[in-house]
Amino acid sequence: MIGIKKFISKMRTKSPWLLHFDCGSCNGCDIEVLACLTPVYDVERFGIINVGNPMHADILLVTGTVNHRNKVVLINLFNQMPDPKIVVAIGACGLSGGIFRDAYNVVGGVDKVIPVDVYVPGCPAKPEAIIDGVVAGLSKL
Amino acid sequence: MITDLVLAIFCIVFVPVLGGFISGIDRIITARFQSRVGPPLLQPFYDVIKLFGKEKVVVNVWQAFCAYCYIAAASISIVMFFFKSDLLLILFVQAVGAIFLVVGALSSTSPFSQVGAHRELLQILSYEPLLVLVVVGMYLEVDSFKIWKIYEWNEPLILKLPFLFIVLGYALTIKLRKSPFDLSTSHHAHQELVKGVLTDYSGPFLGLIEIAHWYETVLVLGLCSLFWATNWIGGFILVAITYILEIIIDNVSARMTWRWMLGYVWAMGITLSVVNMVWLSLV
Amino acid sequence: MKELLVFILIVSPFMFAVLCSIIKSDKIRSFVVLAMGIILSVSSLLLITKVPFSFSPKSVFTIKVNHIIEVSDFLLLFLMLFFAFKYKSILIRIFVIFQMVFVSYFDFFLKQNHSDYPTIYCDHLSLIMVLIISIIGSLICFQAVPYMKEHEHHLNIHPAISKQRGFFFVMVLFLGAMNGLALSNDMMFFYFFFEVTTICSFLLIGHDQTEVAIKNSIRALWMNSLGGCAFIVAIVWIYSQIGTLDIQEIIRTYGNAKYYVLPLALICLAGFTKSAQFPFQSWLLGAMVAPTPVSALLHSSTMVKVGVYIVLRFSPVFKGIFLSQCVALCGAFAFLAGAALAVGQSNGKKVLAYSTISNLGLILACAGINTPAAHTAAILLIIFHAVTKALLFMCVGTIEQHIASRDIEDMRGLYAEMPITALITVMGVITMIMPPFGLLLGKWMAMEAAARNLLVILMVSLGSALTVMYWARWAGTLMSDPFAGKFKLESQPILTWIPLLSLCSLASVLSFLAPLVYTKMIVPDLNSNFIPFDIHRGIFENSYGQFPVVPLCLIAILGFGVAVWAVKSAASSRIVPPYLSGAQTAEPGTFTGPMNQLVKSEARNYYLSRIFGEKRLTTCINLAAGVWLILMVGGTL
Ligand code: SF4
Repeated sequence: MIGIKKFISKMRTKSPWLLHFDCGSCNGCDIEVLACLTPVYDVERFGIINVGNPMHADILLVTGTVNHRNKVVLINLFNQMPDPKIVVAIGACGLSGGIFRDAYNVVGGVDKVIPVDVYVPGCPAKPEAIIDGVVAGLSKL
Repeated sequence: MITDLVLAIFCIVFVPVLGGFISGIDRIITARFQSRVGPPLLQPFYDVIKLFGKEKVVVNVWQAFCAYCYIAAASISIVMFFFKSDLLLILFVQAVGAIFLVVGALSSTSPFSQVGAHRELLQILSYEPLLVLVVVGMYLEVDSFKIWKIYEWNEPLILKLPFLFIVLGYALTIKLRKSPFDLSTSHHAHQELVKGVLTDYSGPFLGLIEIAHWYETVLVLGLCSLFWATNWIGGFILVAITYILEIIIDNVSARMTWRWMLGYVWAMGITLSVVNMVWLSLV
Repeated sequence: MKELLVFILIVSPFMFAVLCSIIKSDKIRSFVVLAMGIILSVSSLLLITKVPFSFSPKSVFTIKVNHIIEVSDFLLLFLMLFFAFKYKSILIRIFVIFQMVFVSYFDFFLKQNHSDYPTIYCDHLSLIMVLIISIIGSLICFQAVPYMKEHEHHLNIHPAISKQRGFFFVMVLFLGAMNGLALSNDMMFFYFFFEVTTICSFLLIGHDQTEVAIKNSIRALWMNSLGGCAFIVAIVWIYSQIGTLDIQEIIRTYGNAKYYVLPLALICLAGFTKSAQFPFQSWLLGAMVAPTPVSALLHSSTMVKVGVYIVLRFSPVFKGIFLSQCVALCGAFAFLAGAALAVGQSNGKKVLAYSTISNLGLILACAGINTPAAHTAAILLIIFHAVTKALLFMCVGTIEQHIASRDIEDMRGLYAEMPITALITVMGVITMIMPPFGLLLGKWMAMEAAARNLLVILMVSLGSALTVMYWARWAGTLMSDPFAGKFKLESQPILTWIPLLSLCSLASVLSFLAPLVYTKMIVPDLNSNFIPFDIHRGIFENSYGQFPVVPLCLIAILGFGVAVWAVKSAASSRIVPPYLSGAQTAEPGTFTGPMNQLVKSEARNYYLSRIFGEKRLTTCINLAAGVWLILMVGGTL
C-alpha cells in the first residue's frame, strides 16, 4: 500500500498539470508563463501541460495582484481543484501586490486569500524562474 | 472457455498499454513537428496513474456512472474485436461508450460541458454512418461481417476498397480527436471550450476516460489494419502510415466548425463510399 | 377453448366498453378497466399454447358474424359521414362516399356465397400482435385511469360533466377492434376493424374538443379514410380477380401465379397511411394533442403497427418484384427523414412521434427487403418498439402532468424533482438505442439484411446516427443537474407505477429472452426451410453475422452493477459546482455578472433547427415521399 502511494506520488511529479490564472496582472508575467510553453523552453518535456481547467489541474499558477473583485474567482478556482494541489504565486504582484499594492482596490498578494506554496519573484518573473518554481513546488506534491 | 477468458483478460490489460504507447509516440512526433523535444514516451502512463491518485471530485454523481459505462463499453468492443466477432455489432457497442461520455458531460450544468457534449454528439453523428458504410463495404467484398472471415480473405481489402479506406480516415480523424475535427475536446492546450466534453470530469474519472480513449484508439486502428489483413507486416505498415498522416493533418490544420464538419464529412464520406461500392458491384 | 379465447379477446372488450360507458362511478369504472386488462392479458397468454389455428365462427349471440360485419360496416361509414357533415369536411365526405359505393357494390353485386374458409386465423405474427395489444394495451389503460383524473382536474372539468366514460368506452373498444384485426383472415373483417380503429383514433384525438384537437382529428380521419379507400379498392379488385376473401388463400395464389400487383400496392398504400409514413405523417403529429395514454396506445404501440402488420403479412407475395424494392426504399427514407425531423424538435411528444414514424419506416424497410432475416428483424422491432415506446410515452405523460410542459428544455435536471420517473425514462432511452437491448438487435439484423441494398443501407446508417443524437441528448438533459446526494422520491398513484415499472422491466427482460422469442415465436412463422439465424448459447449467428445477446446481457448486468457501485462510492466524494470560469456563486448555476448581479448561466441543447427544422425539411420530404409513393403504385401498372 505504501509502495503504491509512493509510486503514485512519484507519478505526480512527472505529470504536473497547470492552471494559469491571471489575477489582474499587467500581462507581463502572463507572457512569461506562456513563453514556457514555446519550443524554446518546451515544458512538456517534464510532462507539464497547461490545462486551463481547475478540475484537471495540480498546480495553480497565479500572476498579478489580488483585488476585491477577483479574489472570489481565485478562491473558487482553488476550491474546484482536486487534492493534492499546490499554488505558485508569480511576480512581485503575486507575492505582495507589487507596484499596485497601495491601490484602493487591491487586497495584496495571493497568500492573502489562498495558501501559497512557492513564491517566484521578478517583475516580470523569468521563464526559467517560473519553471524552477514549478519544479520546487513538485516536491511538495 | 478458459482460453477465451485468458484472451479476454489479456486484451483488457494489454490494449491500454498499447494505446498508451501510441499516445506517447503521438505526443513526441507532434512535438518534433513543432520543433520541440516533447514529453517522455511513458508520459501518458504518468498522467493516468497520477489521475488515479487524485482526490475524487464530482459535479454530479452520474458522471461516475457514465465514466464507468464508457470504459466498460470501450473494453467490451475491443474484446469483441480480438474475438474476431461481428464488426457491425462492435461499432454499436463502441457507440454505447461514446453516448455515455456525452450523457455524463450533459449531466453537468456547466455551459462548457454542455456545448462540448453537443459537439461530441455532432462528431458521433458525423463519423458513425461512415464507419457503418466502411463495414458494409467490407461485407460486400468478403460476404460477411465477421472479422475472422476478413482474416481468411486472400487479398488485402485496400485493393478493392481504396475509397472506403479514405472514408475510414475521416472517421479516424474525428475519433482520435485530431484537427480539424477536434471540436468537442482536444489534446492541445485549452481551447475555446476549456476542455469541452471533458471539462467537468476530473481525477480518477478522467483517468478512466483516458484509458477508454486508448481502447478506442486501438479499436479504430484495428479497423484500419483490417484493410491489409493478409499479413501482419502489411497491416502494421498501413496503420503506421495512416497514423503518421493523421498527425501531420492534425498539425497542419485548424479547428473548424461543426457545420463544416457535418457537411464536409457526410458529403465526402457518402460520395466516396457510394463510388467505391458501385465500383465493387461492377468489377 | 380457442373459440372462447378468441371470443374473449375480440368481443369482450366491446362489452366492457359498454360497461365503461354506463358506469358513472369512477372507482367502479377503474375496477372494470382493471378486470378487463387482466382478463385480456391472461387470455392472450393462454393463446400461446394454441397457435397456429384457424376456424370460422358462425355466429355471435345467435347472429351470423358475416351479417354483423356487413351491417356494422355501413353503420360505421354513416357515422363517418355524419362527422364529415358535422365538421364540414369535403375530403372526408368524398372518401367516405367512395368507400360506401365500393362496399355496397361488393356486398350487393360482387359477393357470392362460396365455400367455407376460416375467417379467424392465428399464426405467430398475429399472436405477437395480440400479445402486444392485450398486455401493453391493458397496461396503458391502467395508467390512463389516474392520468385522466389528473387531466380533467388540470383542465378544470367538473366531475359531473366528466368525459371519462366516453374516453374509456373508446379506449377499451379499441383493444377489441385491434385484436379482431390481428386475428381476422377475411379481408372484409379486416377492413371493418381497420375502419373501427380509424374512427377510434379520430374520436380520441378530438377528445378534448379544443379547436386544435378538432382540426387534427379531422386531418387524421381524412388521411386514414384515404387508406380505407385504397384498401376497399384493393379488396374489390382482388376479389374480382381470384374470387376469395381468404387472406391466406390470397397470399398463396398471388405467390404462385403472376397477377396484377396493383391491388397489393394499394394495400401497401393503406398500410402507409395507417403507419403515418411520409407524406402522411402530419396526422400522427397532430394526434399528439390527445391525452398521452392515447398517444401511447394508438399512436405508437398498437394502431400504427397495423400498417406495418399488413405490409408484413402480404410481403411474401411481392417478394422479388419492384414493389418490394419500393417498399424498402420508402421505409428506409421514412427512417432517415423521421430521425432528421426528430433531431430538430424540442417538444418531447413530437420527438416521440417522429421517432415512431422513423421506426415504423425501418420495419417497413425490413418488410420490403423481404428475406427471412429481414422479417425476423421486422418482428423483433415491432415487439420491442411497442414496449419501449409505450414506456416512453407514459413517462412523458407523467412528467408532463408534473411540470406542465412537454418541452425537453423544461425537463432539464428533472432528476432532482422526479428521480424515479427520470431514471425510468433514461432506461427507456437506453433500451431504445443501446445493445444488447431488443431494438438494437432488430436494427442490427435490419442493417445486416439491408447491406446489399446500397440506397437502403445508406439511408439506414444515416438515420441510425441521427437517432442516437436525439435520444442521447434527451437522456442527458434529464440528468443535467448540479446537485448530488440524496433526493426525495416522488409519489405517484399506484396505477401509474405499475405500468411504468412493468414496462421498464419488460423492455429489459424481454431483450434477455430475445433468443427464446425468436425460436418460439418467429421461426415457426417464417414458413421457409431456411432459418435465418442459428441460436446456440444465446448467440444469434449465421454465415455473415453474430450477435451474442445473452453474453452481452450478462456483461451489461455486470457493468451496470459496477457502475451503480461507482455512483454509490462517488456519492461520498467531494461535490463541487460545475466549472463556470471561477465566477460561480453559492447559488447553483449562477455567476456574478456586471454590477455584482447574479446571472444565471444557461446552455440549451442543439436542435440544429437551421438544418433539421420542421419548416425547412417537411416540404422537401413530403415531395420526395410523394413522388416515391406514386412511383410505387404506378410502377406496378
Ligand atoms: S510582477 Fe511586474 S510583470 Fe508581473 S504582473 Fe506585476 S507588474 Fe506585471
